[in-house]
Amino acid sequence: MNFTQLKKNSTGYLFLTPFIIGFLVFGLYPVVNTLALSFTDATLMSRSSHFIGIDNFKRLFADNVFIRAVGNTWLIWICNFIPQIGIALLLSVLFTSARLKIKGVGVWRAIYYLPNLLMPAAVAALFNALFAYYGPANQFMVRAGFLSEAMRFLESITVTRGLVVFIQWWTWFGQTMIILMAGMTSIPIPLYEAAMVDGASVWQMFTRITLPLLKPILIFIFVTSLVGGMQMFDIPFLLTDGRGSPLSSIQTNNILMYMKFASSKGHIGAAASVGVLVFIMTSICALGIFYILRDRDLDQPKPARKSLDKKNAERPQS
Amino acid sequence: MKKKLSVLFALLIIASMILSACGGGAPAQPKELKGTLNVWSFTNEIKTMAIAFQGKHPDVKVVYTMIPMTNGEYQTKVKAAAGTSDSPDVVALEAAFVKEWVESDLLANLNDLVPLTKDLKTYPAVVQVGTYDGVTKGFSYQATPGAFFYRRSIAKECLGTDDLDKVQAMVADMDKFVETAAKIKACGTGDYYTVGTGGEMFLPFLSNRSQPWIVDNTLVIDPKIVEYVHFAKMMRDNGYESGATQWTEGWFAGMNDTLKDANGTPKKVFSYFLPTWGLPYVLSPNSTPKDGGAGTGGDWAMINGPMAYQWGGTWVGVLEGSPNSELAKEFVKFVALDEENLTNWATGVYTNEYLKAIDPTTPDDQQQAAGDFVSSQVVVEKITKSFDKSTLADFLGGENSYGAFAKAAPSVNGALLTGSDDAIQRALNDPLAAYLSGTMTEAEMWAAWLDAVRSEFPDLTIPEAPVK
Repeated sequence: MNFTQLKKNSTGYLFLTPFIIGFLVFGLYPVVNTLALSFTDATLMSRSSHFIGIDNFKRLFADNVFIRAVGNTWLIWICNFIPQIGIALLLSVLFTSARLKIKGVGVWRAIYYLPNLLMPAAVAALFNALFAYYGPANQFMVRAGFLSEAMRFLESITVTRGLVVFIQWWTWFGQTMIILMAGMTSIPIPLYEAAMVDGASVWQMFTRITLPLLKPILIFIFVTSLVGGMQMFDIPFLLTDGRGSPLSSIQTNNILMYMKFASSKGHIGAAASVGVLVFIMTSICALGIFYILRDRDLDQPKPARKSLDKKNAERPQS
Repeated sequence: MKKKLSVLFALLIIASMILSACGGGAPAQPKELKGTLNVWSFTNEIKTMAIAFQGKHPDVKVVYTMIPMTNGEYQTKVKAAAGTSDSPDVVALEAAFVKEWVESDLLANLNDLVPLTKDLKTYPAVVQVGTYDGVTKGFSYQATPGAFFYRRSIAKECLGTDDLDKVQAMVADMDKFVETAAKIKACGTGDYYTVGTGGEMFLPFLSNRSQPWIVDNTLVIDPKIVEYVHFAKMMRDNGYESGATQWTEGWFAGMNDTLKDANGTPKKVFSYFLPTWGLPYVLSPNSTPKDGGAGTGGDWAMINGPMAYQWGGTWVGVLEGSPNSELAKEFVKFVALDEENLTNWATGVYTNEYLKAIDPTTPDDQQQAAGDFVSSQVVVEKITKSFDKSTLADFLGGENSYGAFAKAAPSVNGALLTGSDDAIQRALNDPLAAYLSGTMTEAEMWAAWLDAVRSEFPDLTIPEAPVK
């Protein structure tokens, strides 16, 4: 008996080992190594490095470069996330609506998702060429009379940040919409039918049925978007000069980290300290989101919701 | 006893074998080269030489990797790979960052190739750049003195002559250059620009500093740098430059007369500051419009311009710890210190057919047109005559560019380059652009630049800004 149990277990462990090895080598080790590097003055161009305590972190806070990068990242992410989730919610409500029954949902969904398939490098290079001083955007704006003379778009902080926000929104709202639609179609239709019989308005159905049952999906979107947003790199890096020009206004956390890594001697220690701080910041925010949006019903079960819970009992939900 | 003796014999045999192996390696110079060599570069130029090298040594296989230099991507990749198992054997290093590598302990000592530079009379500045603390770690096949290219038709129209000496006299120093710029603007009623960007004039100012960027771990803001900033601002404010960004469509469009402003008004660019390699790689290929049209070939002339300067250049070095260091050294020798190869390189022997005969998989656009200015004075003297009648001479209205470069090459100074140049100079671009377009004051510009330098070089002493 014991033997077979062990055998059973060992087979299970055997199946787990590839993942665990992969995780240890490609997941845990880099994190631990980054942490270790952040306390050294290691560079790529020298073979030896020394432990320098928290000097790297002190330097990050000695001037406003790091704080500015964090501010830029948050600003660009928030400006992109709010319209992204708003439009994705609106579109997915329309597309899944049992009343409207929009035709060709699959086609629309594919069209909205398409920008996500484009290479960020190509998109950034495209926008860089479009908005160059002698580029098509200027030609159009001046000839159509919107501008009196050519404008230096990519030297304007507002325009450049706006472009990054737009590209991020444009490439990601389709993805968000698809996830939301998947979540919405999994909500049992009888719930809506019952609400309609009770005379609920569309808005009431949205806030009382759709949103609460969509909460796990929303948390997922929120957290993955936050993690992605805090690591925003390719578009702002390639849109201008790779240093967050103009005036470092699109210099994000990861661009700063990359700049330190790619600087003359390759200061990987200093770059690692940026990575560690971003990791801590993102972790705290993600945990905060989980805490704020946690299922309060589990703490204090409300009798009023019982009927709804029972109806929904076959649906696994957490 | 017998056993002990046999062990002793065995040991002796092994020892003699090892000794003979060691001794045999050195004198076997003409031994056929063998092996695989990993070469990394930021353009496809050296690939041509790599194929030619394989033609000389059929048992050698060169694996060539090209990583573009855009936004410092190449520099980062090489730094990250050095010292790991992915490390290339030979790396190409551009002038902006070659010193960084020569000053590090990551490049192998190539001092035993230095005598060859005496035979070839390699320009001293070229060797100087590849040397640090008496150890030479990089060699170059190029010397890169700068020049000033102008449109003959515009010179005739606005300055009354396209004669080389007369135009040179009109741009002989910066004051005269500005006077000429004003003339060109007035004559073209604002549709003629003297230069495409202020940025291309950075190198002339940079080459004429009295001190490098870093002295005694302190950043040096040379008066020439301050002068450049004021000069660039003046050029922009007076409309003497087109406002295009260097290396973008607008800048290239000026070379083939297709530059149009946002209203569709055609604009012309009178001149470009470009070095030796700028002629065959930048100006000449871009002189024909992409969508057909006459182009500007034959309408160009080349003179020294207001200041002697140098710009760019590619050095090659061997990475320390390369398992193929002997082969790698042979490759460096072939690329930079081989008279036959340098002659072939500069005179257009390496055509696409030539390369395809060696390696049939050579891409159709891989070739080396005649005209690159090589680092060996011996070769330069031998081949200068051959450029009297060439496609490049036709491009320049009959002028022999090679002869002009040969005059400028010995004046180049290699002592101003340091390992931190790239990062310091790249940090200036963004604040300077903001100052030129008026979104920053001069004081803000200097402060922003010094902040950026401080952030990248935590240990460097940063002086006061020139303007506060």
